Amino acid sequence: MAVEIAMLHDVEKCSACRGCSVACKQWKNLPADITPFDGEYQSHKDLSSKTYTLIRMKETMVNDKVRWDFLKFQCMHCGIAGCALGCPTKALKKEETGIVSHDKDLCIGCGYCEINCTFGVPHVDPETKKSTKCNLCEDRVAKYIENGNDRKYMPACAKTCTADAILFGTREEMVKIANERLEVLKAKYPDANLYNVNTDDSIKGGAMMYVLPYKPSVYGLPDEPQLAPSLGVWKNAVQPAGKVLIGAAVVAVAGAAIVNTITGGGKHGGDDHE
Amino acid sequence: MEVSRRTLLKTTAAGAGLSLAGFGFNIPSVKAAVNGFKLDDANEYTSICTFCACGCGMVGYVNKDGKMINLEGNSDHIVNEGGLCSKGASMSVIPNSDGRNLKPKYRAPKSDKWVEITWDEALDKITSKIKQVRDDNWIAQEVENGVTYNVNRCDAIGFVGGAQVHNEECYLIAKMTRMLGVSFLEHQARLCHSSTVPALTAAFGRGAMTNTWQDLKNAKAILIEGSNAAENHPMSAKWIMRAKAQGAVVIHVDPRYTRTSKLADIHAQIRPGTDIAFLGAIINYILETESYDKDYLLTHTNAALLVSPEYDFNDGLFAGYDEEKHAYNKKKWAYQLDGSGKPIVATLTHPDSVMMKMREFYKRYDLQTASNITGIPADDIKKIAEVMINNRPGTVMYALGMTQHTVGVQNIRSFTVMQFLLGNVGKPGSGINALRGEPNVQGSTDFAVLFNYFPGYLNTPNHRQQTLDEWTKDSGTFRRKFMVNLMKSWFGENATAENDFCYPLMPKINANKNYSIYRIFETALEKEMKFLYIMGQNPLVTSPNLNIVQAGLEKLEMLVVADPFETETSCFWQKREGVDPSTIDTEVILLPAASFLEKEGTLINSSRLVQWRYAGLKPVGEAKPDIEIIDLMFQKLREKYASSTEAKDQVFKLANWNYPADNRSDSVLREINGYNHKTGALLNGIGEIQADGSTSTGCWVYAGVYANGENQTLRDDYKTDPGELGIFPKFAWTWPGNIHILYNRASCDKNGKPYDEKNKLIWWDENAKKWTGYDIPDVPAATDGPNTANGQKPFRMSGEGLGRLFGGTYYDPDATSTLPRDVSYVTSDGPFPEFYEPVESPTKNILHENVASNPCLIYPRVKGFQEIGDKKDFPYVLCTSAVSEHWCSGTYTRNVPWLNELVKETFIEMPHKLAEKLGVKNGDKVKVNSARGEVVVKAMVTNRIHTLNINGEETTVVWMPYNWGFKGLSHAASTNLLTIDAGDPNTWIQETKACLVNVTKAGA
Repeated sequence: MAVEIAMLHDVEKCSACRGCSVACKQWKNLPADITPFDGEYQSHKDLSSKTYTLIRMKETMVNDKVRWDFLKFQCMHCGIAGCALGCPTKALKKEETGIVSHDKDLCIGCGYCEINCTFGVPHVDPETKKSTKCNLCEDRVAKYIENGNDRKYMPACAKTCTADAILFGTREEMVKIANERLEVLKAKYPDANLYNVNTDDSIKGGAMMYVLPYKPSVYGLPDEPQLAPSLGVWKNAVQPAGKVLIGAAVVAVAGAAIVNTITGGGKHGGDDHE
Repeated sequence: MEVSRRTLLKTTAAGAGLSLAGFGFNIPSVKAAVNGFKLDDANEYTSICTFCACGCGMVGYVNKDGKMINLEGNSDHIVNEGGLCSKGASMSVIPNSDGRNLKPKYRAPKSDKWVEITWDEALDKITSKIKQVRDDNWIAQEVENGVTYNVNRCDAIGFVGGAQVHNEECYLIAKMTRMLGVSFLEHQARLCHSSTVPALTAAFGRGAMTNTWQDLKNAKAILIEGSNAAENHPMSAKWIMRAKAQGAVVIHVDPRYTRTSKLADIHAQIRPGTDIAFLGAIINYILETESYDKDYLLTHTNAALLVSPEYDFNDGLFAGYDEEKHAYNKKKWAYQLDGSGKPIVATLTHPDSVMMKMREFYKRYDLQTASNITGIPADDIKKIAEVMINNRPGTVMYALGMTQHTVGVQNIRSFTVMQFLLGNVGKPGSGINALRGEPNVQGSTDFAVLFNYFPGYLNTPNHRQQTLDEWTKDSGTFRRKFMVNLMKSWFGENATAENDFCYPLMPKINANKNYSIYRIFETALEKEMKFLYIMGQNPLVTSPNLNIVQAGLEKLEMLVVADPFETETSCFWQKREGVDPSTIDTEVILLPAASFLEKEGTLINSSRLVQWRYAGLKPVGEAKPDIEIIDLMFQKLREKYASSTEAKDQVFKLANWNYPADNRSDSVLREINGYNHKTGALLNGIGEIQADGSTSTGCWVYAGVYANGENQTLRDDYKTDPGELGIFPKFAWTWPGNIHILYNRASCDKNGKPYDEKNKLIWWDENAKKWTGYDIPDVPAATDGPNTANGQKPFRMSGEGLGRLFGGTYYDPDATSTLPRDVSYVTSDGPFPEFYEPVESPTKNILHENVASNPCLIYPRVKGFQEIGDKKDFPYVLCTSAVSEHWCSGTYTRNVPWLNELVKETFIEMPHKLAEKLGVKNGDKVKVNSARGEVVVKAMVTNRIHTLNINGEETTVVWMPYNWGFKGLSHAASTNLLTIDAGDPNTWIQETKACLVNVTKAGA
């Protein structure tokens, strides 16, 4: 049996120190993307081909008191991953570890993953014309497992976390911790909830999970994540029969996608991050 | 240092030979595995982070070409367990940056450009200039009241910097400069935590953070006041969150709601500069409700000692005030003594007792008065007091929000009073955690890169202390021993009892003068300072009231800066608004310094953990470690003085200075540890130090760092933690003597039994007849039990051996000498902490209108540069500090693109109400001006600061980060153009946390 792993962002503990943002760029050798100062602490409005993870920072007034909510936003590594479902070349793939991996050699930069992602995570790099997103440091994860769950090899962001807010381990462990933390949080936060943890939601849980003190929408997450409408066909066709059918289904669209790319009909022409 | 001693350099591939099947895992096909893991062939070495003093462990990865390819947290480290904040995580950029200084550079008078020069040329120019300035400005003697004193001094040379360099480098800079006769020896600690040392010393006897980062997890209440710990000491969050996970209550008292407030259970917004009023109310509440720990007070503090009838406090002034001198006669604040000169011990209710004097003093601080002053609702103050009372042990975390005030010392003294009352010192999860803010600022303080100390917190000799005996009169026989050992380290065999151990050769500062860093630039402005050497410090960003710094630099004859990058200070002469190079005659030399990843040596974190950094990389270009630069400078000076027969130059012949070029750091660390000169062996600890000249130690608190002939800072056992308190006694080494939690004797009752068996730390073992426990007991002698005098000295570094609620004058008698054994430290502005308004205040002092600000303050010092602004012109209170993503002057961090994308430029945080009034939106440009300068920055309009009700009037606070200047990849206006350099009378630390400004909308 493969080991299923997961990352858990325990949002209440996050200090938004953003060590994770830098550790990600450092490990992935991603360039800085310096955007104009807009009067906010949040570094980037959204993920991009240069930024695979960011901390969303939202300031609100509740009952005359200020509240500052942080969330580490990145690829959710969904249980049923819309990006992989719709990927015509199988460049994106839900691995047995739970990671949604991306094979650049197979990627044709069609941009379907951008459309099909529930959370708007993947971005096609305008220069390389390849899709980009967090792969949960799958190279490190391989070492992590290989070395008996050695914390030295945790994904770069989880390892660097200063506040015990980003946890990493087997999915089983993370689910357990998430449920324990939920119980604690409920006493203080009536809306506390687990996000992307349970496998009975429409995206079947993921390898990137959260314990949230408030409703998901507070953090800019869909309260009830659904597979993208663009994947409606796939969802209906594929889900009931399970993963076995995914391959066949993908083959069926591959032709269309390739035609799309050749004719320049791909969504991304290279100017989406300028 | 031979790295192979610890097989530190190893490839990550080692251990990768383990079979996957061995774990029973079926590894999915991972592309990286096919292509080879990025780090498989890399060499690995450990270092320590170079930002705040959390002291996080790092691992650098270097490829076959000697290039750093990766850097991350050391997962086998007791402080960070693999974690790093944004700054630390970005440091692989530094050895690979295009911006590094690669060769020495020279700027000629009036020139507008650098010219590259060789190291030989640079060192020759520097040492020739030092010699000329020293020879031309030598002060052999000074006269005071008709008495002539030998002073051996040169006040025209200044050295600045130390918090960024290693202990060995700090030690050598102190040694070299004192040999040269330099008084103006200073560094960043003056500007950040100089108020900490006197405040904590006055109460505890030592000036350091009492507990450790890891120990925060043991607290049941954590009061974070004057600190943005989660942002500026990010790894503390790990330990705060662990305490919270066990149910601890976290309180954040700060002028803003910050990322630290987000982690707290309670946030109270306080007006900058009013902490004494807030803490005074907490203290008063504890006293009024009698919630104090009576047994602790009687056993461990001076609460029951009797105060001299001469002590008094009236209308804002203590007894002994001299209005003309702005100073007190501190003899008025004394104890009632018995026939042997010891304080009389009575009861907590004796009318003359410290306790009763304190109750009387604090009764003015009722909740409503404190609320009027601070802006915190009275109910919130009460709630916080109750949290601290009901959740013990509780700890305090503070940083520059407390220190950088004209009442900085007394701010911190207030913490000591509160914590004594609650019995919160010496126990796990208790204490006062001074969060030191630079990687080795504890070390640069220990090694006295500060004008007023010699290494090991020994008072710098002044002109009235011509002999060692005269020095001992003010410092005590206990510390005399350490001064003798220091002289033995500096002069070796040449220091003998007959020549007073070469003490007469040391420079004697003028006891009436202030040689702090502020005075360096002011003295330069007066054309009295000719030569200034700066390493790893950037005063043209980090000093207050920058216009005076710029003006001072322009008047120097020579400035030398050693730094990995060009700094604003090194480029002060470059053309920009208001600066014309053709009018500036200063010669400038910029030396390429190795970065922290390219050199070896030790540094000490805020919890006094001394750790070794390996040099896993060669310095870039021609860069050199500071230790090499200092050594080469001294050798050149020695050569230049070789033929001199003048008395002042004999130090160069007598100095003990000989370090192997291939092993300087290790060799210096051994000298610091010290030797037994009869046996030649390294000392094993402070207990082996002798007074007769038969031993030496370069910094007595470090004696034992090389115990058993082994470099203890290399120890890396991150697993052994008896008691599971986070002590890890075999991981690196802490001073003194590997004690981790200071004053831990106070965790036990009179009989040596832990107050709390479940939270025990050390105890008296009656069977073994010794003190023992999970930590090294902080007692004078491990075998002196509770029934001896030594067994009742929980605060053994104060004269009384007790915790000092009342910080009065006390000379502890020495039974074997006419000289005192030890002398308690007394602050200059009062034995109890009294509230005074900041120099620039938006309101009157409602406690005593006629004594509004600190009565011992002397300001302005320089006419024309130090204007004091008034509320009618400058209606808003400005508080300044740092952002998490940039550090100090930003010399490193503003050269890291990954950090510049997180926080792009400087800005001003303001409440919505002010923004609406000014017609300003988020991101708009605003002009901010004070009585000293003005800047244009962008606005951040936020709910995280709200307007306060102060003494019935609406008061607005704004905030700005100070991390920017005109160099680096991200450059912007320096906030310190606005700030005030009025200083605390104890240490002159500036009031950068509270000044007055005006804010207006700027044109497009």
